[in-house]
Parts: sequence; C-alpha cells; structure tokens
Amino acid sequence: MAKTKALDLKGVGKQILKLGEQLDTDETEAYVVSNRVLTVRLVNNAVFEAKGVHDIGVGLRVIKDGGLGFSSTANLSADSLRKAVHAALDASKARRLPFKYSFPSPAKPPKVLGVYDARLAKLPGDKTVELAYDMIEESMAHSRKVVDNAGVLNVVEFHSIVMNSHGLVAKDDGTFFEASLAVTAKEGTKSSEGSEATAGRSLKELKPKDVGKRAAEMAIDGLKAKPLKEGTYEIILDPEPAVNINGNVSMLSSPLIAKLYYPLFLDKLGKEVGSEQLTIVDNPLMPGGVSSAAVDEEGVPSRKVAIMDRGVLKNFVYDSFYGAMEKKRTTSSGARVSMAVGVSMFPGKNYNAEPAPVTRNSYIVPGDWKRDEIIEDTKAGLLAQRFHYTRLTNPTRGDFTSVLRMGLYRVEKGEVVGPLQKSRIIDNLLNILKNVNAVSDKLVVAGSWGGYAHTPVIRTKAHVAPV
Amino acid sequence: MQEDLALFAIDHARKLGAEYADARLETHYNELITIANGRVQRAMINQKRGVGVRALVKGAWGFQSTTNLSKTGVKGAVSVAFRIAKASSRHVPKPVKLASTKEHRDSYAVTVKTDLDDVAFAEKIKTMIKWEKSLHTSDAVIRGLVEYTGMKIDKLFANSEGANIKFANTLTWAGLKADAKKGDLTQSYERVVGHAGGYEIFEKQDMGKIAGEIGKKANSLLKAQPAKEEKNVSVILNPNYLALLCHEIVGHPSEADRVLGREAAWAGTTWWAGKLGEKIGSEYFTAYDDPKVPGTFGFYRYDDEGVKAERKVLIEKGVLKMHMHSRETASVFGVQPNAGMRAITYEYIPLIRMSNTFFAAGDWEYDEMIEETKHGMLVMEMRTPSIDDKRYNWTISAQEGYEINNGELTAHLRDVQLTSTAPNFFRSIDAASKKAEVLPLPGCGKGDPWQILYVGNGGPYLRGVANVVGVK
Repeated sequence: MAKTKALDLKGVGKQILKLGEQLDTDETEAYVVSNRVLTVRLVNNAVFEAKGVHDIGVGLRVIKDGGLGFSSTANLSADSLRKAVHAALDASKARRLPFKYSFPSPAKPPKVLGVYDARLAKLPGDKTVELAYDMIEESMAHSRKVVDNAGVLNVVEFHSIVMNSHGLVAKDDGTFFEASLAVTAKEGTKSSEGSEATAGRSLKELKPKDVGKRAAEMAIDGLKAKPLKEGTYEIILDPEPAVNINGNVSMLSSPLIAKLYYPLFLDKLGKEVGSEQLTIVDNPLMPGGVSSAAVDEEGVPSRKVAIMDRGVLKNFVYDSFYGAMEKKRTTSSGARVSMAVGVSMFPGKNYNAEPAPVTRNSYIVPGDWKRDEIIEDTKAGLLAQRFHYTRLTNPTRGDFTSVLRMGLYRVEKGEVVGPLQKSRIIDNLLNILKNVNAVSDKLVVAGSWGGYAHTPVIRTKAHVAPV
Repeated sequence: MQEDLALFAIDHARKLGAEYADARLETHYNELITIANGRVQRAMINQKRGVGVRALVKGAWGFQSTTNLSKTGVKGAVSVAFRIAKASSRHVPKPVKLASTKEHRDSYAVTVKTDLDDVAFAEKIKTMIKWEKSLHTSDAVIRGLVEYTGMKIDKLFANSEGANIKFANTLTWAGLKADAKKGDLTQSYERVVGHAGGYEIFEKQDMGKIAGEIGKKANSLLKAQPAKEEKNVSVILNPNYLALLCHEIVGHPSEADRVLGREAAWAGTTWWAGKLGEKIGSEYFTAYDDPKVPGTFGFYRYDDEGVKAERKVLIEKGVLKMHMHSRETASVFGVQPNAGMRAITYEYIPLIRMSNTFFAAGDWEYDEMIEETKHGMLVMEMRTPSIDDKRYNWTISAQEGYEINNGELTAHLRDVQLTSTAPNFFRSIDAASKKAEVLPLPGCGKGDPWQILYVGNGGPYLRGVANVVGVK
C-alpha cells in the first residue's frame, strides 16, 4: 500500500478533548481513524480497476447536562474540529437521556495477537495487483472450460484511537484482506458458476492461487448439475452458508437491531431458539480472528460473550449506551456501524457513526463431528456450499430465504453423489436453528462480500425448491 | 469549493502520462435521527469533504481519494492513482476505451424551499419524537420507529476533456414503522416519505396523520388472515410493491456491467444478457430509467462521468431495448453513453447505477383492474426481497394484501410473499393503471467496497401472475 505521512491521531484526539473542556462539556469522547483500503477489482479475466481510499476523520461524542450528542468530520483543521464539537453540543441539547449515562472508564485491555501484519500493511500497490491476478491465472490454468472470472482483492490497514475525558486512551491497529473470485465455466451449451472467498489478518494467510483453484473446481463440477426436486431435506451447510446462519443469529442478538428492525429474538432471552448442538459465542479475543481486537470501538477491553448456549438464547450484546439504557453492563460490543445511505462504509474502521451494540467476532462453537462423518451419516440430503442473497423476509416471524446459487450437491447413503442446479431455501430461521443436528470440529474462515467469520460445518433441515 | 484543486489533479495526472483523468471534489453533510418508543436511539451529524481522482493509464483504471486538500495531498493521491493504474495495465488485454461525449460545462441545483439548516437539529428531533408518538394509535402498537435523513452534497466534476459541472443536491426523507402485537402474533407496517429537496417535504403534509395511519395499519393486520400457498395467482401489485420488484428485476439487470458479467463476484449477472431486441415480456410491459424527473431520489442532469442525462427506454412493449451504460460499456456495446454512472461520495469510483427506474403507466383505471379479476390478490407495500444472481428467480414479501374474488376485494391478508421468475412474470403482465408513481428507495447497495445509494422506483398498479408462498 502507498505510504503517506503518518498522522498524529492522538494529537487530534487531544484537540477534541481540549475543545470539549473549553466549551464546558461534562464529558467528551473522540474516535480518530486513519483507514486505508486498496481494492483490485477483476472482471472478464482481467484487472478492471485498482482503487484506493485514504479515509481520515474523527467521530466525537459529548455529554452535557444529561444530553448526548454526536458529530463527525473528515476535515481536521482547528476550525472544523471546533464546529464539529459545537454540532455535537447542539445535538445534545435535544437529546436528553432519561437515564444516567457516562462514557466508559479506562481499563487495561488484554493483548490480542495476530491482528496487525506490517508486511500486509506495506504491501506495494503493484504487488497487490499481481496477487489479485494470481486468482485469475490459477483459475484459467485449472481447465479450458473456465471462460470468465470476476473477483476482488481488498487490502486494508487501519489505525484508530479512542480518547475520552475520563482519561481513557485505547488504540486499535489492524490489517485485513479479503479475496474472492467467481468463475464461469462452459461446456457446449451448458454453463455453471463456482466461487471462493477468504479473509485474514496477515499476508501469510493470503493464498490467491487456492482461491482461484477452488472457485474453478466448483464451476467445473457444476457443469454436470441436475435439477433438484422440491422437498424438505437434511442439508449440510459448508462454511460459507454456515457463516450466513451465524450472521443472522448475531444480527438478532443486537438490542438495537432487534428493537428497531428484526424483533425475532426480543422475547426469547433464556428460551430455546436452537438445537442442543448449537452454541454461539462472540469472541473478539481470538488470536488472528477476522474481527478480533483488544478493545471495542469505545475503548472497552474485549471479552468473550455467550450468545447461544446449547440452543438457549443467553445474551444480547451491549455497548455502553444501550447497556445504560437497559441497565446492563457493556459486553464490549460497541462498534461504529453505519448502514446510512450516502455515508461511506469501508472495510476497516469507520468514524462517521455512533457506537452501536453488535457482535464483533462471533461464531458457532465447533462440535465433535468430523465433516466427513457428517456426510457419511447423511442417508439422503443435500450439501450446500454457497448461499446468495439471504434474507429474513418476515422479520417478526423469521421467514428465511436464500438462493443456493452454486455448489449444491446431492448426498446419498453417506456420499456426495453429484451437483444440483440452482435452488432456493424457503423456510423459517427458527426451524433451521432448531433442526441443527451436527456441528463439525474445526473453525475455518468463510464469507463473502464484506462479511467474513470463523465457522464449522453444520447440518440442519430445510425446505428447498428449484428455481 | 476549491475548483482549482480539481483542475490541478487532472493536470497532474495528464503530466504523469494518463490518457484521461477526472476529479470529483465534493462536500457532504448528513444528519440522521432515529427515534424508537419515545427515545432518541441515534442522532448524528456527519461532514466530509475530499477529492476522488480517476486516471486511465495504458487502458487501465486507477483511482485514489483523499481528504488532504492541499496541493501536496492531491498530488500524492494522483500519483497513487497513476501508479496502480499502470500496474494494472499489465493485465488488461483489451484497453479501456471511452465512448465520446460532449464536454459539458454547467451548474445546477435541486430546488430547495426549506434548507436543512433552516430547521435546527434539536427542533427536528422534537418533531420526530412527536411523529413517533403518533404511531402508537392503540395499546397494540408495541414499537414505533422514525428514521430521518437529510443530506446535502456539493459536487464539482471536471475531466481532462474540459467538462466542468457543479451540482448542489439535497435529499430529505423519513421512514416510519409501527409494530403491533396481539398474543404471539406481531405485525408491522412501514412507509418512506421523501424527495430530492429540502425539509419542506414535511411541512406540506401532515406527518402526524401519516404516522397515525401507519399505526392503524399495523393494528389492522393483527386481524388479517395469513396468505395461503397458491400457484399461478393473478396478482395486482400496487406502485409501492411494484417499486421494489422493478428495482430488482428491471433496474439491476439493466446495468451493463452486470450484463457483461462484471458483477458476477458480487450481486451477480443478468439472465437477459445477449437478448437486446428480443421480446422478453408482454405488450403491456414498458419500463424506463429517467434521471430527469424533478424531485425524485434519482434526479440528476449529468452523471459522474459528465454525460448528459436522458430518459432511457429500457423495455418497450415487451422488447428489451437498452441497458444503462458508462462511457466504457457504451464503447463495448457501440452505443451512445446514457449517463448511468454514480458514486455515493468522492471516496468511491463511480459504478453503473439506476436513477429512477419504473414501469410505464397503462390505460386501465384501478377499479377496472379489480373488477375484471375473478380470483386473485391485491399485493400492497414492499417489504424484503431475495433475488437470484441472474435476476431471474425472485421472492419478495409484502406488508399486506387483499383477496380478490369476483371483482371485489374480500379478505385482508398478512404475511404475503410472492415468488416467480422474471420472464414468466413479464409475459403474464396484462394490465397497467393510468395512475403511476415514482417512489423514494433510499437503500440500493452495489459495489465493493459497498455503496448504498438513493434511487427512485415505481410505476402503476400492474397485473400479472405469480406464486404465493405460504407460511413455513
């Protein structure tokens, strides 16, 4: 990645705190970010574009007379910072909190290894382009039936610091990559797709040729696909679909998301929402975890939280604000997540949103099955390797659908016997969670398009129809 | 704005050897307020400014953005864009070519009667709290939600061909939602009110009354019957539901980058690739993409490549006529560019995006459409889509519906979800109403990194055939 002059993030934080003092706030917090992303986008078997962003800015919160205000700016001039503090102060006047709230106090963070890799951070732009192209080269070399490749390599380096007027100073420096490739294969009039995606925190984890090879293998397999017959099947979810299931549970365990958008778990705390096989934790302490960090984005030391324990919903996750609102302790789950329209949202860190309670590095806890044993134990069912466009179409009842776009196989008498054509799951998330009857013993990184997590393989039941 | 910086960026890129360069120098102001159950959940003011520079070097694209608006900062960003473009050019067997366009010089703005600054942020919060209260029309309404966004964007686009276009855009909208509960049954109802313009959108209509209607709707759904699974049902889609369907199965597949397979790794491709000029639907199926509709979310006169906007006839009487293009895809197809490129901020490279994509109005009265339907369903208000990667198979849920029997609306329905394939549905369209609307859709996602954009979608009441998905 390109070098630029190092920015004094702490200096910006100090300026904000000083301005807060001058303007007589009761408390002030600054979250200063330098986020650098280089994206190499591959289309039609070529490098289509290489694009970089160096996003620097500060999100700040103030508390004044029981009111809370937030603003952010990417202009770090003294005048702009002053205006930003004024804006937050004005906002606080109309946002009086009916409960006592204070920014987090300083605490010693744990050490989390494997989240910053200087080699990845210093990867030159031309080398990044070459690594991205390796995915295409490997895919094309795999078979002459491969006709098209599209994919991306994102390399991210971020530095952030949270400072508040309690004396809290917490840094988070990280690196991250995501590499994905979609492959189209053709034979005669038949066409099929394959894909592979992976993510990690260090350069040594980046194996673009493996991505290209696996995506091409799936595409070639798909050329022999046969139609599926609609029905309810035992279905083995390989890592990428399993990440989707975990992602939905994680989303529903945010009190903000549950109360505002997806209330499926709202009245289910302490109740059974999944099978006994299913335990889900949020563990940002995992060394090298795709979203691990020593602190959350309010500077609270990371800790492990049980979301679901043997099928029982154990906890919602909290940042300091939602914790105060609901008289709970923060679970170190404050993240600056913004789904706002027209507001940038890059891989890495974002400063232009208030903290919100969301899981940070959640995953399904491995079970005691080998993946091969799960397949051998399946008399008649399906093996799904990719979900596409997964949605809860009825957020209050949990209606669930996803397109099994590629990588769908029939399993018979304990063996994977052949690929199937594109199909769609139409079921209910609670049914899918309650029907989980096997969880594999290994965590791997999987995901797609910005959403990656560690996961085992799981088996459940679902209604599947051809499309 | 520091216009000279944009020109400096372009000049520097050309000096380095770029065959083409453009720069977008932008300032952004966003304010967001979220109220739920009487409490401010989130209230944020965001400001950004910076420049994004795109350079074409040996037929390859490089792009870099920066918030460092000094000459040194901009020079550094241009140099990075140039270097990574040059590195990419080693793996570009077919150099990018841009279809020619006139180098426009213009300045324009969205009409704003009440500037966002004219109403204090604190006052807005108080107003939204009142709206949220109005959602609670009965004890059955257990949750209310108001989400407001106001944004102002000042943009300067300039390129090495001499284009120089300034656009001051303002968008204002609010989403209102009520959840009602009785026993184990929860039902919700929501609506978005918004436009390209200022805060006047909320002054010219009674938002408290609208909130009350939403609360009552959520409550009424508690007494509605669940929709039953049924194949091949004659469905009349209201403009709000149609807006989402149109967005997903007309708008997205019309993007030429998808047609060319360039989005395969993300949202997917397009089933109608290679079918330009072919009949893909009935005579009653005509659809447009039109950025020139004033007051809509997709309004603009020039896209982010400086191409002048015109109405695009995407499908005419069932025949696939045109895709949405960048200058580059227009060159690939050998057609004129049609102003399809947009980026959400200077931090992103532009992508082909829909503006206002909608079905054309027909010649039916709404009442006639109901009266002439023996058995079917009126499907109302969008909820959640799930579409396959080729935009072929679709499943979209609705907020409510009504059974139609012998030309009359009968049972009120909840938990409505339709599924079909695009060609089957397009072929089945047999009526469209005279009345049509373009509605605001504030959350269209595309690209990597992800860009969430504001677009307009809609159309008339439209009748076709789809399958109703039952409750699982």
